[in-house]
Parts: sequence; C-alpha cells; structure tokens
Amino acid sequence: MDLLSILAVIFDPRIFTTILVCTFYGAFVGAMPGLTATMAVALLVPFTWFMEPVQAVAAIVATTTTAIFAGDISGALLKIPGTPASAAYVEDSYRLSQNGKPRTVLFTSLLASVSGGVIGVLILALATPQLANLSRGFSSDEAFWLATLGLSCAVFVGGPSVARNFASLFIGLAVATVGIDVAVGHPRYTFGVFELYDGVSFIPAMIGIFALSELLRNAALGRVTRLSGITVEPLKTAIAAAWGEFSSRWKNVLRSATGSTVIGALPGAGADVAAWIAYALSRRISKTPEKYGTGHMEGIVDGGAANNAAVAGAWTPALVFGIPGDSVTAIAIGVMMMKGLTPGPDIFTNDALLVYTLFGSFLLANILMLLSGGMSVSVASYLLRVPRAVLMPLILLLSLIGGYAITGSVLAVWIILVLGLVACAMLWADIPLAPAILGIVLGQVVEDNFMVSMMKAQGDLTQFFDRGAAAVLGAITLAVWVALLVRAARNVFENRAPPGNTEKQ
Amino acid sequence: MPSNKDIGASPGENARPATFLRDVVAGAALIAIAIAMIWGAQGFPQIRAVAFGPDLFPKIIAGGLILSGLGIGLSAVRDRLAVSPADDTSPAPFAVLPFLAVLAIVAGFALLLPVLGFHVTAALALLASVRVFGGGWTLALIMALIAPVVLHYIFYSLMRVVLPWGILQNWAW
Repeated sequence: MDLLSILAVIFDPRIFTTILVCTFYGAFVGAMPGLTATMAVALLVPFTWFMEPVQAVAAIVATTTTAIFAGDISGALLKIPGTPASAAYVEDSYRLSQNGKPRTVLFTSLLASVSGGVIGVLILALATPQLANLSRGFSSDEAFWLATLGLSCAVFVGGPSVARNFASLFIGLAVATVGIDVAVGHPRYTFGVFELYDGVSFIPAMIGIFALSELLRNAALGRVTRLSGITVEPLKTAIAAAWGEFSSRWKNVLRSATGSTVIGALPGAGADVAAWIAYALSRRISKTPEKYGTGHMEGIVDGGAANNAAVAGAWTPALVFGIPGDSVTAIAIGVMMMKGLTPGPDIFTNDALLVYTLFGSFLLANILMLLSGGMSVSVASYLLRVPRAVLMPLILLLSLIGGYAITGSVLAVWIILVLGLVACAMLWADIPLAPAILGIVLGQVVEDNFMVSMMKAQGDLTQFFDRGAAAVLGAITLAVWVALLVRAARNVFENRAPPGNTEKQ
Repeated sequence: MPSNKDIGASPGENARPATFLRDVVAGAALIAIAIAMIWGAQGFPQIRAVAFGPDLFPKIIAGGLILSGLGIGLSAVRDRLAVSPADDTSPAPFAVLPFLAVLAIVAGFALLLPVLGFHVTAALALLASVRVFGGGWTLALIMALIAPVVLHYIFYSLMRVVLPWGILQNWAW
C-alpha cells in the first residue's frame, strides 16, 4: 500500500470534509455535560448508513477522537466530565480553572490529547498488521474462542462487580438471540412480528441504550448545569503557558500514551480505564504526589494523553480479531458489518485500503483536532450555555428519526423505546451498559461459530480444543473464566473486594 | 458517565449505599427473564441426529442470566447481614412525571408517525419535549416550527430517506 494512494483517499474532498465536520461535531457533543463520546457515535450511526464504508469509518474515528478530548471542557469549567474518560483528572482541571487558568488547562490538555492520539495511531499502524499475520487461517473453532475470549475479557475489566458485568453481557446476548436462528432457520422470540425475523436492528438498539436512556435519566434527575463566573485568561497567554507546560512534560505524554494504547487494546478497557490508570501511575511516579487532586498539571497531561491514545488502541483487537476494545469500537464493528466488511485478520488483505485509510483518518482527525478543539476551548463559555431545553429535545428527535431512517419502519422507534427502558433499568441497578453492547454485536458471531463447530463435532465439546491454535485460545478463555468465577465467589462470600480494583490491573 | 459508572467512580465514591431491595429486585428480574427465555425455547424444533438445536444457545444465555441474577441477589443478602439497615441512604430524587413524559413522547411518535406524517409528528414531539425539559412555550413553538424543516432538509433532501408525509401528502414537495 503506497502512501500516495492513502493520501489521495484521505484528502478526497468528501472524506476530508467528513473528518473536518465530525471533529467539530465530536467537540460539541463531547463538551456537553452528560453527553458521552459513545452517545455522539450512536447518534452519528444513522448518518453512516448513507456513507461509503471508508467515509463511515473516518466519521466514527474523527468523532470519537475529538469527543474524548472535549470531555475535558465541561470537566474543567463545570466539574462535570463531558465523557467518563475525563473523570480521572477533573478535580485538578476544575481547580485550575477556578484559579483563573481555564484556557491554559484546556490547551495543555489539547496538546497532550493530540500527541497521545498520534502516538496511539502510530502504534496501531505498526502493531495490527503483525498481529493479523499471526491470526490468519483461523477456523470456526478459533473464531468462537476469540469472540468468547473478547466477551469474557470485557466482563473481567468492566467494573468491580463480576455478577453485574456478566448480567449486562447476558442481557446483550439475549437481545442478540431474537430473530431467525443460524442452525435451522427457526424464528426465535419474534412474537409474530415479521420485521423481527432479521433480529433486533443494531442502530435503534444503540440509540435506545445510549441516547434514550441518557435522555430519560436527564429528564428524571433534572440535572441543571450552572457556569459560575470564572475569569478567562487571554488566548495568547493561555496558549503560550500551555505550550510551556506541555513541552516540559513530554516524557509523561510519551509514557502515558504508550501504556494506554496497550490498555485501550484490552477488550472492555476503554479510554476511561486508561485515564484512571495513567493518572494513578503518574501520581505514584511523580516527585510531587501530594499536589494531585489539588489543581496539578502533571496528572492532566498524563490523563489527557492516555485517553486519546486508548481510543486508537481500542481499534487493534477490533480490526485484527473483530473483538471490540470498548463500546465505540463495538458500534464501529456493527457499522462495518452493516457495510459488508468483516473485521478480522483477512481485512488486511481484502480491504487494505480501508484499514490504512482508517489509520490516516485517525492521524488527520488528531491534527484537525488542534483546530476544532482549540476553537471549542476558545468559545467554551458560550458553548456550555446552550440550554437543556434546546439540546435535549433536538437529541430526542434526532434519535427517533435516525432510528426510523434506517429501516423505514416504526418498529425501530419501539426498539429504541424498549431498549432505552432496559438500559435505564440497568443503570438503576448499577449494571454497566458497555458489556451489553458487546453482547449485542458479538452475539450472533459467537453463536454462528459455536453452532458450526458443534455440528462439525457432532456435539463433542472436546473437539473445540483439537487444533493447536484453538486449544491455546480455549485454554486462555477457560483460565479467564476460572479467574472470573473465583473473583465472583470472593465478591459474594468474602468481604467486598477493595474499591476500585479495576484500576490496579 | 453512567455507562461506565463502576469504572469512573472516584475512590471516594465507592461507599455504595446498602441497596438491598434494589439488588434483590434486579436479581429476581434477571432470573425471571431467564425463565421466560427457557419457556419460550420449548417450542423450538430440534435437529435430527444431534441432541441440540436453536434452543441451545438461548438456554446457555438463560443459564448465565440465572447465575448473574443469583450473584447480584446473594451479594445483596450478604451485605444486608454485614451492614446495619441504618446505612441505607435515600436514593437521588427521581422525577417520575418527566420520565414518563419522555416515554410517552417516544410512544406517541411511533403511533402518530404513520398517521400524521413526519412534519406534524416531529413538531408535536418537539413542542412536548421542550416543555418537559423546562423550556417556555415561545421556545417550544420556535423549535417546533424550525427544527422539522431543518431535519426534513437533512434527511429527506440530502440523505434521501423516505419520510412519511401523512396528512400533508397533498402539499408534498
């Protein structure tokens, strides 16, 4: 794949404009308190339906990248992280803004995010083709184990309560069983609704789980955000100060970005986990650990670089194995499958241009983020004044039309309603949402491969371990299950596991 | 945010209230769903020659739901034994009416869309939702008039989505 053809694709006016527009869109949604990067992507998905595959992937990538950064904006100004990935260092960034340095904080964070993102992409571009070479020639046995391993890892790193993570995953898998089954073509749980024979449509499901649930919570909890009067320093001073902070801490950026790319690549551990770990590690290594949490720039630099690097890292297992690293890549895999592209080792031979364009779009999005991110920082105090009564109704309507537009049927709206309620119930019971998305996306893949292998083996489970690669993957998966069961049992029978145990992994 | 609450919780926020009832209800609900799945899978046809069919995977999932439901319920019981009931903290204030109103708007949208068409339904949905989210009537009217036209342009004109015209069919453009 030569550089020129990749550049030609990325700088194609349509792709370039898409990336540019999406960086602004991501910056806006990410900056809004309570609207997550995942929600930004869920709302974008109906539009990707009408795009070329390359354009669709570029749009998702650009939106996520900037939304993760922009989460810092409302974190610094309102102490409400725009996305969970900004939560780790919100205390520091908020205190610094209160001390009259909001723009310095945000520009420092922007520079750290851009470099973190770029480092993440470079590692992604170098590592994935190598991994793909390793995993070529997998059969249904290996594919089954890989998908199962991905799901299990998601449970492992999802949150402190194993039972709750499992519950979420199985709810997702249960939703995925709706529709014609793979073995004999029998409709399952369709309640006579003909349109459900194809299964629960993925886009309305995303919108219901991530957008409607958030709107419902917002309506019920009546969250009102107030921007208290803070002094804003002049733009030039802020940029200069930010550059000083950033350039004196480039080692932190390098360390956090590299580590977080790897963390992001773990299935289920997304940008938020990476930011927490990077922040905790930074405090442990730092010469001034006592300053953390009181308005210290070091943790912001580490966390800011970490979450954007993790965004790139999450794409590694998604591209190579078809296992999503976080909920955004889970959505992205769903979109790619919709476009007839199957993520997996073969994508590097079959759709090489797409893969390299994805790397290119990532790079470009990170660079354009300097522009869109910088502009949103400059107008942040206005941005955060958009009233709830304008924003929420628009998101609601956009969600409903977005879902409807894909299938042209009101069934989509009902799916949004039902799954939005299910997601609300899950949030109420403190069950995380991300594993459920992995379940919905991977459910059919797992079942397909499981049933094919079962039929080949005539129901003899030992044959799942017959091939060398399958045996290794199977053994790893079983080891993860044993570890999970031990942890779950400890959760139930011993005293509660130490709080925040996910952060230590 | 909420989707990753467990992960995002800062070290100080981990003192979760002993929410016994909530966890028992959640556990029971998961088990109830599992039983419904198993019951629904009874009628699925079997593949001859092998002892499994389309019901195998749903039953495995149902098993998983039962286990996780038991796990959540048992942890709650253990916490109940370990923690004195006085530790129960009251939940955050939850406004039921706006919650139901948003649900009603979504359901209304699904029911009215095929009858009234996109533009009228969207305008009504906006009118209602601006009010639910605390906006005044003027804002609601302005949004209800402008937003459907903008969305029409984006979805119908640019993306070529077929939006139903409904009662405005005679004035379709």
